[in-house]
Amino acid sequence: MRILQDFARSLRQLPRVSMVAVGVFVTLGVLAPYIAPHDPNAQDLLAAHAGISWEHWLGADHLGRDTLSRLIVSARTSLVGMCLVLLIALSVGITIGTIAGYKRGWVEEVLMRIVDVGLAMPSLIVALAVIGIFGTGYWNMIFALALAWWPGSARISRAVAVGVMNRPHIETLRVLGASPLRVYFHHLLPTTIGAVLVYATADAGAVALSIATLSFLGLGIQPPTPEWGQMLVDALPYLETVPMQVILPGLVLTAVVIGFNLLGESIALNRVPTPLSRRILASRRMLASNWTRAQQ
Amino acid sequence: MQTNRRTLLKGMAGMTAILATNPIIALAQEGAGGVLRVAAAKPAGDLNPHAFKGLWAVQDLIFEPLLRYEHGGRFSPALATEWQVEDGGRLLRFKLRQNVKFHDGAPWNAEAMIWNLDRWIGKDSTAWMNASRLFAGHKVIDDYTVEITFKEPVLGLLNEFSYVRPSRFLSPKSVDAAGNYQKPIGTGAWMEEQATNDGSEFERFDDYWGDKPGYKHLELMVLPDSRGRMAAIRAGDIDLTGGEFLAPIKATEAVTLQAAGVPVVVEQGTSTIVAGLNPDRNPALKDLKVRQAINIGFDRNAISQVLYKGLAQPAANIFPETVHLSGKRFPVPARDPEAARKLLDEAGWVGDGVREKDGQTLSIEIVVSEEQIAGSRSLAEVMQAQLGEIGIDVKIRSVDHASRHSDIPARHFDIALFTTFGAPYEPFGTIIGLLLSTYDNGVDGKLVIDPEHLDPLVNAAASASEDTVEQATQAIHDYLHDQVSCLPLFYVPSIWAHTNRVSGFKAPSTEYDLPYKGLALNF
Repeated sequence: MRILQDFARSLRQLPRVSMVAVGVFVTLGVLAPYIAPHDPNAQDLLAAHAGISWEHWLGADHLGRDTLSRLIVSARTSLVGMCLVLLIALSVGITIGTIAGYKRGWVEEVLMRIVDVGLAMPSLIVALAVIGIFGTGYWNMIFALALAWWPGSARISRAVAVGVMNRPHIETLRVLGASPLRVYFHHLLPTTIGAVLVYATADAGAVALSIATLSFLGLGIQPPTPEWGQMLVDALPYLETVPMQVILPGLVLTAVVIGFNLLGESIALNRVPTPLSRRILASRRMLASNWTRAQQ
Repeated sequence: MQTNRRTLLKGMAGMTAILATNPIIALAQEGAGGVLRVAAAKPAGDLNPHAFKGLWAVQDLIFEPLLRYEHGGRFSPALATEWQVEDGGRLLRFKLRQNVKFHDGAPWNAEAMIWNLDRWIGKDSTAWMNASRLFAGHKVIDDYTVEITFKEPVLGLLNEFSYVRPSRFLSPKSVDAAGNYQKPIGTGAWMEEQATNDGSEFERFDDYWGDKPGYKHLELMVLPDSRGRMAAIRAGDIDLTGGEFLAPIKATEAVTLQAAGVPVVVEQGTSTIVAGLNPDRNPALKDLKVRQAINIGFDRNAISQVLYKGLAQPAANIFPETVHLSGKRFPVPARDPEAARKLLDEAGWVGDGVREKDGQTLSIEIVVSEEQIAGSRSLAEVMQAQLGEIGIDVKIRSVDHASRHSDIPARHFDIALFTTFGAPYEPFGTIIGLLLSTYDNGVDGKLVIDPEHLDPLVNAAASASEDTVEQATQAIHDYLHDQVSCLPLFYVPSIWAHTNRVSGFKAPSTEYDLPYKGLALNF
């Protein structure tokens, strides 16, 4: 019960707009097949670019497919893609970052220089290069984006790991004879993962945007799987005649990216210790003086 | 009269307005003096007519052929006034036009012609041209008469001498001491003034031998994005856009422009979008019944209406009627899912959902490149959905232009979209280039590979006489149609748009030309 209360309290601290955007996105992604009113791939060429109606609440695209259903199912495409990219990127990044932070010395130097090379290259360029070599396809896109994203998490992981390794309790553990594996898996890794996941929240929006970008370029999700970037590029030739078909996926994508960015930012800010208020400071001083008196 | 602050401000505003309007008036006057502004999707590039890098349409402005390919496959005199084909097609005699000068003042004569021919004819790099591959020799009869001899009768001989490259003529003075190309100097109506990545400027060649354009300058403006070009023509920033290779206009864009009151010219083009099948990679496609089922499994008419706004006509032949020797017209296959299902059943592909045979699913991969054929992904999506209804699982693979150029010749596709070459390369450009398995056509790849049945037909047509060539080419058309060796989809329309400032526009006879002739600027 206390865990739930803590969770609810931490949610209340987050900006509502971002919570709504991310919440709707995740809900749609999870429940997409059950709440989409139509088969997102069912074509009705006679209904191409049909306007808003009871049949098609947000109209139909250039092949007569229901736009609302495609927007909803696209949320699942992006959500799954985003989770896979972050899972792979964070796994690789955290492993390399924590090894560097634990071992230090030449191991750290070598690993961090590799990370520097990775960070020096724009993520989209890396992804395009990988897709250029291995070809288009869902898994190639996931691995391409993961390859572009891991250096960032490795850099953060290493910074966190170095901080953790310098804490007194790690030194105490070592003095007490804790094995390196115990220190790494029981103390270093869990602490680092927690910290890095916070930063990953902000990355989620950027990953969703990259998936849409690659699909927009025809290099990501392949038809008929609905995806926002693909919906955008399909609708672009009709920008003047049916602008809504361009605006809708653009709007949804923007909301999700802003939502994740705000969420990541606020989580990061919540982790920064806020200065103590005068009242709390006074009470703590009082506590400390009482404790000192009691000792005497 | 009392001058207060308000009067002073009004006066200053008036003066500012007059000063600001002056450059606009000046520009308008300059415009009236005559600058035709043409959009291009990319810079003109290296315009050397004997290289293969520049924009065709821009090379057409500067360099001229001996004879021009006209609508309907006729030829009109250009730098040659007469020509005769003799000795059963082994001798070609040209009578050259007199009093023609290159832009640098060098005379056009037999010597200039031979100098140009020697730069490409009979060389390995141009062996894809029959005239070059079968070249035997040339002879100057007099200053204005040249004879070219060939080892064998040359197929499409006159067509080849109308190509934009390498058959056009460069000034012999426009090269350095080592003979390397330096400047684009031809005999055409336009001289290049300057060229950058943003565009090129051309000045009318006042000593041009033919009908001179009525305006003095032509500006090529590079606008890579098609939406940018559409906005520019609507705003009046450009006067002319279009052409398959210069600045393509999509059907949806043409309709939008028409709705906005921009004059759009749509004519039957000379090329066709054809789906190539690769039975070597997907054995299911070896079965005629499967090919027939696919052919009637999707709705060409609906696709034409929805995706091409009715501007691209559904096709059943690999050439439109505008192409010489395009063959008798076959009826456009109508979509018939029931008949398609029956064919697949007969072929042994059965089951609900995706059909199966001997444990294999009936799955086909379509490779599309939006850069090669705009709208091809949507076209593939319709095929995917409609063929899915008859139990064929279609997977779409979108590739960029470079990947398309490697995947298609390497036959990494089950179905891929091709575009026939169009005039003046037709019909033998496509027949030899895309249908003859033994002919290496580089990055274009093969539409059909059938050495056993199709190659003999192609070779027979290639060596046919004037009297039998029609029958021989018809045999190819019949074979492709009966065997469903490929799927003709749509005839590519020739789409151009111009502003009301331009009058007298006529669509060019080939998509490789720039249609500046006969144009007038109204203001």
